[in-house]
Amino acid sequence: MSTLELQNLTKQYGALTAVNNASLKVNSDEVLCLLGPSGCGKTTTLRMIAGLEFATSGDIFINNNNVNNKNTRQRNIAMAFQFYALYPSLSVSENLANPLYAENISSEIIKRKIGEIAEILQLKNILKRKPHQLAEGEKQRVAVGRAIIRDPECFLFDEPLSRLDVQLRETMRGQIKEVLSDLKKATVIVTHDQLEALTMATKIAVMRDGLIEQISSPHNIFAKPQNIFVAGFIGTPQMNLISAQFIKKENNICQFNIFGQNINIKFAQNYELDPNVSYTMGIRPRSFEFNVQQNTETFSGTIELIENMGAEILLHVKNDKNTLRAVTSRTNNLRIGNKIHLAPKINQTHIFNADGKVL
Amino acid sequence: MRKRVVGEAGWSHSAIAGAVGFIYFFPVLFIILTAFRNRMDTLATPPKWFFSPTFENFYHIFYRSSSTTSEYISTGFHMYFFNSIYISGMSVILALIIGTLAAYGFSRHPLKGNETYLFIILTTRMLPPIIVIIPIFLIFRLTGLAGSYTGIIMMYTCFNLPFSIWMMKSFFDELNTEIEDAARMDGASERSVFFGICIPQVKAGLAATSVFALILTWNEFLFALLLTNKTTRTMPNAMARTIGGEINVDYGLLAAMICLFLIPIFFVTYALQNQLLRGVTFGTIKK
Repeated sequence: MSTLELQNLTKQYGALTAVNNASLKVNSDEVLCLLGPSGCGKTTTLRMIAGLEFATSGDIFINNNNVNNKNTRQRNIAMAFQFYALYPSLSVSENLANPLYAENISSEIIKRKIGEIAEILQLKNILKRKPHQLAEGEKQRVAVGRAIIRDPECFLFDEPLSRLDVQLRETMRGQIKEVLSDLKKATVIVTHDQLEALTMATKIAVMRDGLIEQISSPHNIFAKPQNIFVAGFIGTPQMNLISAQFIKKENNICQFNIFGQNINIKFAQNYELDPNVSYTMGIRPRSFEFNVQQNTETFSGTIELIENMGAEILLHVKNDKNTLRAVTSRTNNLRIGNKIHLAPKINQTHIFNADGKVL
Repeated sequence: MRKRVVGEAGWSHSAIAGAVGFIYFFPVLFIILTAFRNRMDTLATPPKWFFSPTFENFYHIFYRSSSTTSEYISTGFHMYFFNSIYISGMSVILALIIGTLAAYGFSRHPLKGNETYLFIILTTRMLPPIIVIIPIFLIFRLTGLAGSYTGIIMMYTCFNLPFSIWMMKSFFDELNTEIEDAARMDGASERSVFFGICIPQVKAGLAATSVFALILTWNEFLFALLLTNKTTRTMPNAMARTIGGEINVDYGLLAAMICLFLIPIFFVTYALQNQLLRGVTFGTIKK
């Protein structure tokens, strides 16, 4: 069992707060993804966990032991770096063995461990090569191998797949996930790629400007975003965020003024809404029914642009000054200039208050 | 990476390059040829291209006929040769050690006002040496450092330090610090991060810095003229003494001295040339 816990972790560089009061907990066999745009403090958080940077305030616990004042090595953490950080003058097998040298392990065991890792990560044929002779994918596997060869308390991965091409990324994503599920250690992965986070993580922490905006399971992050930022950040194409004026409510059917149209939307739960507050409505582009008939539950607009996405098409639907994005199957025979009517699917509409928090 | 085939540029380009190269090399070639001419051939106009080579110039560097007796006496040149090697070697090594440590510090553990310190270090090289030589001479005379090995080695080390700090800092700045972090995570101490991870990666920088510093020191004349005495005199001064104050200049002797003077630098540059090429092109190639 290994756990990792951060309590009110803050890092300041002069006047800049890189990480602001971050608190989270990762249990063994959990994979937490720190997800966020560039410069949001996710790598700084990871480096603080690793002991490569010291926190301005707050506590880090590994297995319930406070490690604030322990150095990198004493924390017994393994980390795979974004640029792989392989020792340029050492061969692959020496690179793999390096973390073990410090532990005074006999060369027999080191050799056996290298063999095991090489087996798992398919490195057998390149053990004698130097890092500069390796392809990107191979370097990446060596970096992962070097992280998992020890038996650390937890694993940290900094943008592990960012330098690989799309196909290789998909393969490696699967491989890393498989390896991690076997290791059953608390793992933190930093990424800016939401697909990576959604597929690899058991828990996602979305960060912005040093703040953790939401921590939840990948499904919840996608289906129940806590605020406008998470709603807009997760999901491609991006969620439609439209300002909406509440008019009246009958049972669970609320009437809003959106795009100058009065639209009835049915909710599963009973929201307390105030006509004097300006709300923001979030609807994912895939959460629309394509109705042929205009009625009180549809947005109406003209198709302004069609983007091809393979099996699907992304429509930009314009109404007066506002534009909505909607995704539909390419079998729908739609043309630019067509007038269409869209109805939000039941229970797939999110309402955010003036502070950007979900209702 | 595309492999370059030797001679790929073609005959015409190679011929032009050869011609330009020859123009550059001609003075050196002329000096080398002069070193092997006898006194008559040396002064011949037009220059004699074909002559029977002689080693008498080289012999005369070390032994000169006495004006009173017919014996040949030692000129002490072997000592000057040793002095040059010892003084420039020691000062380059010292400047490299201190400079590398300082550069690592400036690069990895920046101080408040780091850039200002670096600028101040560079300002010491902004004054022409002739401006500072008089106070330095007085300080050296007061402290008794004048004429000693310690004094001139210290002087040259200071002279080389700004250059080696700036150059080595740029090499350290270019390194991927993730590798150092990885080593720390693997349990390396700060010392082994520096010696085991950083130093091997800046070998090219060390080579380039040492060659440039060595050439500067090896050729230095002014400080050596004023701060050395008969026993610590370096080659450039020893050579200058064969020109000054005599009725006529023995060009053959001078040429032979230059030949000897070139040999150490030639070998050092040759030994380090692979590293050197990587050193001077550092940062220009995509990582």
